[in-house]
Amino acid sequence: MAKITYIGFDGEENVLDVENGRSVMQGAVSEGLRGIIGDCAGSCSCATCHVYVDPAWFDKLAEPSEMEAILLEEVCDPQPTSRLSCQITVSDALDGLVVRMPEKQV
Amino acid sequence: MTAQTETSADAPVYWDPYRPDLGNDPYPTFRRLREEAPLYHNPEYGFYALSRFADIEEHFANWEIFSSSRSDILEFIQAEELEVPPGMFIWQDPPQHTAYRAVVARVFTPKRMNALEAQIRAYCARCLDPLVGTDRFDFISDLGAQLPGGVIGMLLGIPDEDRDAVRERVEGALRTEEGKPMELDQAAYVGEGFEDYIDWRVNNPSDDLMTELLNVEFKDDTGTLRKLTRDEILIFVNVLAGAGNETTSRLIGWFGKVLGDHPDQRRAIAANPALVNPAIEEILRFEPPGPSVARYVMKDVEVHGQVVPAGSVMLFLLASANRDSARFPDGDTFNIHREGPPHITFGRGIHSCLGAALARVEGRVALDEVLKRFPDWTVDTANAKLSSSSTTRGWDTLPSFIG
Repeated sequence: MAKITYIGFDGEENVLDVENGRSVMQGAVSEGLRGIIGDCAGSCSCATCHVYVDPAWFDKLAEPSEMEAILLEEVCDPQPTSRLSCQITVSDALDGLVVRMPEKQV
Repeated sequence: MTAQTETSADAPVYWDPYRPDLGNDPYPTFRRLREEAPLYHNPEYGFYALSRFADIEEHFANWEIFSSSRSDILEFIQAEELEVPPGMFIWQDPPQHTAYRAVVARVFTPKRMNALEAQIRAYCARCLDPLVGTDRFDFISDLGAQLPGGVIGMLLGIPDEDRDAVRERVEGALRTEEGKPMELDQAAYVGEGFEDYIDWRVNNPSDDLMTELLNVEFKDDTGTLRKLTRDEILIFVNVLAGAGNETTSRLIGWFGKVLGDHPDQRRAIAANPALVNPAIEEILRFEPPGPSVARYVMKDVEVHGQVVPAGSVMLFLLASANRDSARFPDGDTFNIHREGPPHITFGRGIHSCLGAALARVEGRVALDEVLKRFPDWTVDTANAKLSSSSTTRGWDTLPSFIG
């Protein structure tokens, strides 16, 4: 279990408890948070769960796969700390993780 | 059975995707299915159906049980002799599906789709400007039937003069006759029409998707790094053209109809373009162009205490899930100010709609451009025509008074 802070583009903060093994995307979508879509349900192909990871956390995440790296060049407004949140698997080590939503996914 | 006994409140709920009287307004039936038969079995056509959001969310993405390997269309799954050609990735499961899907996902992305916005806007202007000052506008023949084919043409880099021919060919391919299942020969996504263009593009590379498909290197399911074959490209292009045409035309028809029925919300959008985006999402929820999607059941699976046997067909009623008040409070009410979770119109999982970003851009731009010119309209209901099949539902013609 980890507490994940999701910050919307408008600044609204939501802190959610997400179970280990679920993805940061699933944590948001199952609570109905706006700002993350996740059409492909985590199969790393739709690029609609883009988030900016807080710089303090970015290096603590596993490296993106080749496919995620390709898609990260194709999201709207990519930045150096961009990740697809369906590819971030929650664990105790990510307790306190902060992610910010982009202005739009599509 | 007659229509009356089947649909009356006392009789057990009945639904199939072919009957025009049910297709005209399926939502009361969908509500009964959710309440009375969350796992529905239709003995006449031999399918099962799930209608609640929670059930669809739980099962739809589970390709190991609910497979696409015999297509995603009820009639084709039931046809003994269906042959799915290699590269027809929408009708494959992993591992074959994975490599192909990744190739297309790489070239069919939100950024690339958004980059088309200016071109899409110009195309809409070409369709709509000649109508300014007149008193009639048909959402389908004047815009919905033209824009999606034109956009697919832009994307593929098909020269303007060839686009109408491409559009007409694609349009005929996936239509069903009212009240009847589809014929198997309509499964021929490997149609002719793009070969010459592919060959020409080999020698005339540009910055379009076709050139990208010709050049992209990928690891196939045997682990070999290679380029796509001409046949694979041909199938991809036919799939993209087929999937992106009628559905997007239906989306345009539905925004015409639904916003015609809700003039107050239409005026709110016209006054505040920031509402265009949420309005398109709400229209996608409220009237999905593809209301149901079929899967082949690979192994026995228990749903709501009942075993659905291997070899069955399961229909996932996305249009019903989108109205499920357990997920979307007051789900039968159209409300562009709705907050909360997204609809399931584009599906979920490894087969979710690859063209979702494109459909959204087209829908947004088309609605914006229509409202700029015609902020008020009234649908000419007497002359509008709705059709529905096992794959799509929407307006074939939707004339409106704009004067």
